[in-house]
Amino acid sequence: MHLINYTHRNSFPVTRFGGRLGAQDIENELGWLFGSALGGLAPAIIGGQFPVDLYEDKDNTYVRAELPGVNRDAISVEMVEGSLSIQASRKENGAEGEGTVSFNRLVSIPDEVQSDKVTASYENGILTVTLPRREESKPKKINVSVN
Amino acid sequence: MSFFNSLTPAAPGAPSPAETQALPARRPYYEVAETDGGYTLTINLPGVPKDGLEITDEGGELRVAGKRSNKLPEGVVVLHRESSEAPFELVLEHDNTIDPAKTEAELKDGVLSLKLAKAESAKPRKIAVT
Repeated sequence: MHLINYTHRNSFPVTRFGGRLGAQDIENELGWLFGSALGGLAPAIIGGQFPVDLYEDKDNTYVRAELPGVNRDAISVEMVEGSLSIQASRKENGAEGEGTVSFNRLVSIPDEVQSDKVTASYENGILTVTLPRREESKPKKINVSVN
Repeated sequence: MSFFNSLTPAAPGAPSPAETQALPARRPYYEVAETDGGYTLTINLPGVPKDGLEITDEGGELRVAGKRSNKLPEGVVVLHRESSEAPFELVLEHDNTIDPAKTEAELKDGVLSLKLAKAESAKPRKIAVT
């Protein structure tokens, strides 16, 4: 009598072909691998890290990170010399016993930001950091009069 | 066919498959632990809100489907993207010794915890010899 007789660990982004995989799974995995390789979007991601998005609008730069199951207290976000450092840890009760898993990532921020006005929110396991840009790094409209 | 489509890069300028059709579901990371009364299933579903979640248990097949609400806001300039908007789907077979009526589910911070109770008939029973 069993529910599942194997442990399948395919934690994003490290893909291990452990356990039983169906054709659909392999297709998905290959699709993702080829998609990212051919699209040239994401650099090689190594274990212990987590997916990160970087985007901006006219006032702010945003960094979004997938960190499911992390306590708000265990998330630390700080600006270090033009980069945003995200650190988090998660307590786990696995078959091997209790343990703490740490994650960290350093994201280079292209624009000058107001470090003292950085805010962060955490919802559904996704951390969103809002970094307001400095006035001088915002795009300026320059009117040129043509005679 | 989608297997071959995904292997072949789209021609430059052509819309990518992601833009023309729904993204294929991805299997989320999950763990199963056996407890005294049943099993605890922990599934990572980042970006899935409560109303995007669908859990069914039918004919010995437990299915968890999660639609993600992690679309980027309108009008932003994307500088780097690693996350996916593809929905999650996990289908696990079991031998029907689970009592679906007693299943408890909790979604917190993008992690779903499912407590599956073993059916009474599946629990070990001591038989007294007379």
